[in-house]
Amino acid sequence: MTDAPAKLEIRGLGVRFGGLVALDDVTLSIGRAEIRGVIGPNGAGKTTLLNAVTGVSRPTSGDILLDGRTISGLKSSEIAARGMRRTFQTSQLFRGMTVLENVMTGLHANMRTSIFDAAFSSARVRREEREAAEKAWAALEFVGMTRFADRDGGELSFGQQRIIEIARALVSEPQVILLDEPAVGLSLNRVIELEDLLRKIRAERGVTVIMIEHVIRVVMNVCDRVTVMASGRKIAEGTADEVTSDRNVIEAYLGSGFDADGQKS
Amino acid sequence: MLKLISPVPVFCSAAIFAAALPAFANQYTIFVGNLAFIYIILTLGLNLLLGYTGLLAFVNAALFGIGAYATAIARTKFGIPYGFALPLGGLAALAVGVVVALPALRLTGLYLALASISFAQFAVWVFAHWDPVTGGPTGIRMAAVAYGFSGSWETVHYYVSLAICIASVVVTSNILRSRVGRSFVAIRESEVAAEGLAIDLTRTKTTAYGLSALYAGIAGGLFAPILTLVVPESYDLFQVIVQFAMVVVGGLGSIAGAIFGAVGLIGVQEALRATKELQEIAFGGMILLTVLFLPSGLAGLLRKYLPEWREPLRRRGDDR
Repeated sequence: MTDAPAKLEIRGLGVRFGGLVALDDVTLSIGRAEIRGVIGPNGAGKTTLLNAVTGVSRPTSGDILLDGRTISGLKSSEIAARGMRRTFQTSQLFRGMTVLENVMTGLHANMRTSIFDAAFSSARVRREEREAAEKAWAALEFVGMTRFADRDGGELSFGQQRIIEIARALVSEPQVILLDEPAVGLSLNRVIELEDLLRKIRAERGVTVIMIEHVIRVVMNVCDRVTVMASGRKIAEGTADEVTSDRNVIEAYLGSGFDADGQKS
Repeated sequence: MLKLISPVPVFCSAAIFAAALPAFANQYTIFVGNLAFIYIILTLGLNLLLGYTGLLAFVNAALFGIGAYATAIARTKFGIPYGFALPLGGLAALAVGVVVALPALRLTGLYLALASISFAQFAVWVFAHWDPVTGGPTGIRMAAVAYGFSGSWETVHYYVSLAICIASVVVTSNILRSRVGRSFVAIRESEVAAEGLAIDLTRTKTTAYGLSALYAGIAGGLFAPILTLVVPESYDLFQVIVQFAMVVVGGLGSIAGAIFGAVGLIGVQEALRATKELQEIAFGGMILLTVLFLPSGLAGLLRKYLPEWREPLRRRGDDR
């Protein structure tokens, strides 16, 4: 992994909100088809990092490169169009659309239909729609959620919504996906399913995954490498075993009140 | 049997009924029917902004006026035949709508509502004071449209409005079934998530504003001849409220709702034609009652009692 060129390269990234330094000189290099865990206590800057990488908030310093090309400063939609997708801490499945339509929305940039084509519903539009629906169905199949295809996005449980969000992120065959706490609030069985899904994403899709996660067992079980953050800085990096035995990390984050499964006791 | 009560057969039956109506209706009923078609077009257009894209913009009353004025000016000042003046009205509203959308792109929620109501008021002021073009407070008198058919021109105009109204319903439904419609709803639900799926906010919102403006402008062009007079007060704040009430009472984000809202409220308006004050109270009251007791409007009742009723991109399940 070290000799292959990095898929996503983050160099000296800083984000300031007024006087508040949310992210300070963070450097990461993430390889192709790597699952990178990002952990750290609340307020460590994990979501800020995700927002900066996806263009939701503007970096104040540093650079972000996708396949060696800089993407910092681009609009969020432009970064997404270059093959980056994310999910959110609080599920953002769209209501008023079926689950299938939600996943089809993930193909927006892959489709050509203009407003004029759409208005007259030409044969070409209908074909494109059919193809999109098939791809979306396949993505739902991949995450095991086809039984909800016809339900409204807002009707499902948060756990289900979060998995469907992953399907929506994957459907456009992105190069990088960023997941913000995908396991939070899931029951143990669902957590195990999520771990299987993440492994499957790595094995079958070759997607680079960056995952913020508080549920330590997921991090231990699926992440190739783990970056630990605290107070807006990177404090450690390595395999899950390495970082969890790192003295700095134990002090900053796992120091007290955690059992072996990483659950708060 | 139940399959018959689904959008396409119900809509076709309604269209056939509307097409047969002039055979046994008087001039006044034809006038009201024509008005209803015009307001269906308006409500569909406003619903694209309010209901589907979630933009609280109240520019459509003004754009309705711009469509009416542009059509009237094209006919009376430049002698352009109505068949060309009508699409010109639509295009004029589209152009103004897109220009107005540019500053509005950065605004959402209440700020957008306030800014767009200011624009609506400004437009009325222009209609009333730009005498050489708009004829000032006395407006523009427009002769009956010479369609070249036998029979009354009002009946022919009724069919023109009906045809455009049907086309609007079909086009709206087509758009909602495409990636364009999905991008509207995605923006309504979450701008951040929409952008994260490579949906360009500027482009999509401009499309929604433009499309909505085109509907309003064409409705204006159809409206101009039926009163034979284009005057500023047709497009004032009350017009904003009428259209808003139709969208809300009918149900945000539903094509059937837009049709119910427009037809129902035109009925109320005509029942209270003698007293404009009562109309204003009735419309305000209906908005209030709907918001309090039936937040998803008449379309919500449809969803509750006819769960098989399917429409593109319409919210199912519980109300918020």
